[in-house]
Amino acid sequence: MRISQAYLALYNALQACGWALVLANLLYGILRKDLPEQLYAAAGPITNVVQGASLLETVHAAIGLVPSSPLMSLMQWMGRSNVLFLILGPISQLHSSWWSVLMLATWALAEVIRYPQYALSSLGSCPAWLTWLRYTMFIPLYPAGVVAEMGLMVAALPDLAERKPYSLELPNPYNWAFSYHRFIQVVLALYPFLWWQLYSSLLRARSKKLAPQPPKASKSQ
Amino acid sequence: MKLEVVSRSGQTIATLDVNPEAPVSELKRKFYGLKRKYYPSRQRFTLPLKPGEKRGTVLDDSKSLSHYGLGDGGKVEFKDLGPQIGYSTVFFWEYFGPLVVYPLFFFFPKYLYPHLEAPKQHHLVQKLAVAYWSFHYAKRILETFTVHKFGHATMPIFNLFKNCAYYWGYAAYVSYFVNHPKFTPPNEKASVACLGLALLMQLGNLRSHLILSNLRKPGEKDYKIPRGFLFNNVTCANYTFEIWGWLLYSAAVQSIPAYLFAITGALQMTQWAIAKHKRLVKTFDGKDGRPKYPRRWIVFPPFL
Repeated sequence: MRISQAYLALYNALQACGWALVLANLLYGILRKDLPEQLYAAAGPITNVVQGASLLETVHAAIGLVPSSPLMSLMQWMGRSNVLFLILGPISQLHSSWWSVLMLATWALAEVIRYPQYALSSLGSCPAWLTWLRYTMFIPLYPAGVVAEMGLMVAALPDLAERKPYSLELPNPYNWAFSYHRFIQVVLALYPFLWWQLYSSLLRARSKKLAPQPPKASKSQ
Repeated sequence: MKLEVVSRSGQTIATLDVNPEAPVSELKRKFYGLKRKYYPSRQRFTLPLKPGEKRGTVLDDSKSLSHYGLGDGGKVEFKDLGPQIGYSTVFFWEYFGPLVVYPLFFFFPKYLYPHLEAPKQHHLVQKLAVAYWSFHYAKRILETFTVHKFGHATMPIFNLFKNCAYYWGYAAYVSYFVNHPKFTPPNEKASVACLGLALLMQLGNLRSHLILSNLRKPGEKDYKIPRGFLFNNVTCANYTFEIWGWLLYSAAVQSIPAYLFAITGALQMTQWAIAKHKRLVKTFDGKDGRPKYPRRWIVFPPFL
């Protein structure tokens, strides 16, 4: 086994474990009828770690370790990280919102399937049922996830308008102004389109991956 | 001879009777006669994939069908490139926007910065900046119609909207802040010096464009090694001057949006430059009497 293969298998396995922990904490808490802020307290820190670490996936793409586009990978990472670190994290009122639970749960459910599928694929031994799960569960999970993310951003708007975090006002030596509140409004407007691009490309990938494989492959995928 | 035109999925679309020595453009003309929706510039023909190929050989309009080894009963793959629009049309509209949009913020602050008290006079930097910006885009439009010789005649029409959104959007974004009533002018002497240097870069860019334009004689379609001026050292010297021009403009106005614009443009030009450099190195390999492409920077010494 080449070292790059071993590294990827290890990376994906560790991510799978991390997200499994997130999911386990959420499920345990939900079964105990915990409040959203308790669920966030239990699952939030681990989520921060795995999400932060997933920036590595952009590096993997940039150095050619995996065939994905580094730009796409970075944009997806920034989208999630923005909601998790810049919005949900700092705004404590949002910790008691069920949007946050929905978001963490849909993320965890999707990742706990995706990372094992990557890990086993990189070792060349991914069972068909796992590939099927990976390319099917996203169908309900991604819409739920994007609704949760947008719900959180909308809920955050009043706080962002008042506190004005990460913002810059004129005059200043950079001759630039940036309103994070306005930025999030623009992001909310663009979100459905950006999300649809991702979703439709997964649907296309689904029909390719789950189609009956030809016995003699003339093109490699 | 009879040629079979197939779709990418393998379905036969048409069978055409053509002369083997006829150019590919003749094939396109005949196909257009059968399928009126696909005017010639929308058609792309490729040879069927050979083992190991990711993309079939694209048939060039000027070459003969026999050049590609096509005989009676041969197959060609058809792809619809979508509605097309002329290169110079796109260039005109994408450059016309910045030429009009940027000065709007300079001349009509009352409307574009409502509720803000506009100062009685603009700073010198702002005046020079609007002059420089306008000169740049006027130059670009002039070059489009008098200097540039485009390798392709058309591009997909979607590019018109994409490119205009980019140029017009950034023009508004940069202009809004540079011409803002609360603009903080940097050191005047430094700014004037930067814009002066930027102007020199523009002249360097113009000279580079003239050199590129003269590489091919009318009718020639082959690649040439650019020579002279900065091309002796850098493959895409035209981009080098353009990137420097925008960096110097940004330094002159000291505005983040200007730097963002410069960096975005530089990244795109770098992508194009790498592709062009690779193409030239591959074409001029020094074999079979072809010259070997000299060792050169790609686009931005000393980095790339």
